Amino acid sequence: MALEYLAQAFLIVTTPLNIMVLLLSTGAGLIMGVLPGLSATMAIALLTGLTFNFPHQTALISLIGVYVGAISGGCQSAILINIPGTPASAATALDGFPMANQGKAGLGIFIAETASCLGTLVSVIFVLTLTPLLTALALKFTSWEFFLLSIFGILICGALTARGNALKGWIAGVLGLLVSQIGLDTVDTIPRFTYGNVNLMATVQLIPVMIGLFGFPEIVRAFKDSADDNILPLSKFEIFKGFGLMIKNAVAAVRSALIGVMVGIIPGVGEDVGGWLSYWVSKSRSKDPESFGKGNPLGIISAEAGNNACIGGGLIPIMSLAVPGSAPGAVLLAAFLMHGYRPGPLLMTETPEFIYNIGMYLIFASFAMWILALFIAKGTVRILRINKKIIMPIIFTLCVIGAYLINYNMFDVKIMFVFGILGLALSSANFPAAPFLLGVVLGPMTDSNLRRALRIHDGSFATMFERPICIFFLTVIVFMILSQTGFFKLFKKSKKPLEGN
Amino acid sequence: MKKILALLLAAGFCLSSTAQENWPTKSINLTVPYGAGGTTDLTARALANAMGRPLGITINVINTPGAGGSAGSLNVQNSPVDGYSILANGMLAFTTMPINGYTDKTFRDWEIWVATYAPNCVIVKQDSPYNTIQDLINAIRSKPGQITAGTAGIGSGGHFGAEVVKAVAGADYKHITYAGGGPALTATLAGEVDFSPQLLAEYKDLIIAGKVKALATLAEEDITLAPGVVVPSIKKAYPEAAKFLPMGEVTAILLPKGLSEDKLKKIDAAFEVAVKDQAFLDFTASRSFSVIPRNRADSQTFLEGFAGRAAYILWDAKAITIDPAKFGFKRP
Repeated sequence: MALEYLAQAFLIVTTPLNIMVLLLSTGAGLIMGVLPGLSATMAIALLTGLTFNFPHQTALISLIGVYVGAISGGCQSAILINIPGTPASAATALDGFPMANQGKAGLGIFIAETASCLGTLVSVIFVLTLTPLLTALALKFTSWEFFLLSIFGILICGALTARGNALKGWIAGVLGLLVSQIGLDTVDTIPRFTYGNVNLMATVQLIPVMIGLFGFPEIVRAFKDSADDNILPLSKFEIFKGFGLMIKNAVAAVRSALIGVMVGIIPGVGEDVGGWLSYWVSKSRSKDPESFGKGNPLGIISAEAGNNACIGGGLIPIMSLAVPGSAPGAVLLAAFLMHGYRPGPLLMTETPEFIYNIGMYLIFASFAMWILALFIAKGTVRILRINKKIIMPIIFTLCVIGAYLINYNMFDVKIMFVFGILGLALSSANFPAAPFLLGVVLGPMTDSNLRRALRIHDGSFATMFERPICIFFLTVIVFMILSQTGFFKLFKKSKKPLEGN
Repeated sequence: MKKILALLLAAGFCLSSTAQENWPTKSINLTVPYGAGGTTDLTARALANAMGRPLGITINVINTPGAGGSAGSLNVQNSPVDGYSILANGMLAFTTMPINGYTDKTFRDWEIWVATYAPNCVIVKQDSPYNTIQDLINAIRSKPGQITAGTAGIGSGGHFGAEVVKAVAGADYKHITYAGGGPALTATLAGEVDFSPQLLAEYKDLIIAGKVKALATLAEEDITLAPGVVVPSIKKAYPEAAKFLPMGEVTAILLPKGLSEDKLKKIDAAFEVAVKDQAFLDFTASRSFSVIPRNRADSQTFLEGFAGRAAYILWDAKAITIDPAKFGFKRP
């Protein structure tokens, strides 16, 4: 049966009209992903309206295409100008930008896009085979697990981006958590730090914060540096070298994709954490962790395979429970419903072909994305040839437009300026911006799940220690804090003189 | 060639001269103050599509989530009243905005077209010890303040449902709020909370598939979801609940008063066509919404009763500090 449905889906997607729609929408998604400020959520929401009157299958193909494109496109701006195109690709910038500075931008983009493609393909396999089983895993997560996972995510991100001083990364993360507290809280809807401002009540929007934090320091840096440094050597694509790197790191890439799938399944966590988590695992398993953050290709591969695999992972709770795992997932669910599909427990009995259609469209979309991304990259790498003093004002304009487009609200543009100045202050004091951003992303999850768990268990922390997943997270968190603060080194040093005696 | 050019120019002039008198001449923005995919959003999208056709333009749906829907509502309230900025909102959150202190304007300051009604439904996990609504009510009575209800937050449809359950039980439950209907549902499935009193539409398929048990709906009549799957009205077991019914979310499209009667009539006409549109009816049926179209005058009458019920549920739950009487809300 499954093969029959897959064959049917193959026939649908390969009609000339659908192939054209797929290429167009994937390309549009890629471009929106590349531009900082135009997010995957926005891309899907826009297309949902546009495709309302399309034939159902064509509409689905376009939505899947734009989703895959937008999540993958973000890596290009992260690598080329150190400004992630979407929050999900913040981890890619860590090794991507240094690689571009070494004159290997083309190679960096090639492996990033190839890893994205691979990540999506691995996740499709899970959607098609293990949906019911993995849904059960999603239901193992209660408030305590969500709380610990978000703390874990911020700690990882802080430790990874702080270049040796994890404390600075964690401080940035906590600052981000604090910023996310602005607005009506999600437990009791009590306004916090809003000063009677309706716009602040709606919480600080993520995209303007991201554009400000990452964009401003880069824009200012372009004008601070001397003109000669501003033009980077334009690199070739080095496809064979790229394939070589992919084959060499195939195990790590698949492992990262698996982590991404798992993170994607847990509702409410999303692509951002997927990239960081798989990056962290690759770094801590590496024989040469020092090379990460300095242009290690494995860093790019892990981050991109991890965040793209969340796409398939995120589809699993949508398909089985009609509960979206992320903001773009929520818009996708809305689009499914609008086209008459009812994701949920009845999906397999009412429209059993649906899940195979989506799987096949994902496969085609990831290949289309791969080809188009490399095509687009031929153009985007040329940005490096242009003096940054010319390119950065253009990016600045895009930042303002992007911030405005989130809600068609000038207030968001002001927010972007505020966080731009904050971003400058942070970067000049060597605090990384990425944990700050992740703090803002995960803040509502951290805060509300802690308070919710305490309310359910009458203010007791004890129940946290009764849950296996919690124990796992707690152990890793404690281990990480101790290792980053040099506790284990102290231990080793105090032992050595003794042995000497 | 010149002739063609002249013709084109003339056509252009015609278009631009009539543009000043006609309305609408460009696409209308329909603000949904919640994220995409929710009940209000889906209803608004189906309605927007059906209303755009008779108006001869497209209606774009814009999602501006935040502050429990009040941010988007206030955005529309503060936009110029030119008919190009319309709101779609759930009436539970919308009518209680003044008593939550978000604005001094009430629903009486808006032109409103009520479109659909979606009832609440009390569900428990498949292996829950509660098999009937009586089991649950008795548990709340014997362990006041300990039975947990998962909802999408203060003032959400689920919160109102839970308050009706509390009024019937005469004892309090423990309110656990989530960031949305989805997380509240997964928490119920994962067994983190004892029951969920949200809108039936949110878990219709789970009920049919037997993944959750539906104990009672807060509609006035029993609801048949599928052959053999009937959700009883809470009225059956507890006739005294009748004064709180029907409880659920009512979705309407609306815009601040001040638009000319001429333009309002055009919206009236488009709304009347839209609520009979087959695609819209198919959509509402698939979600178990009732289409209860009301014109502008009838909507106001309907909302007087509805808003009073909603406001006093919040007031009695001590969820608000502004007395509903201040805005002339009537106790049911």
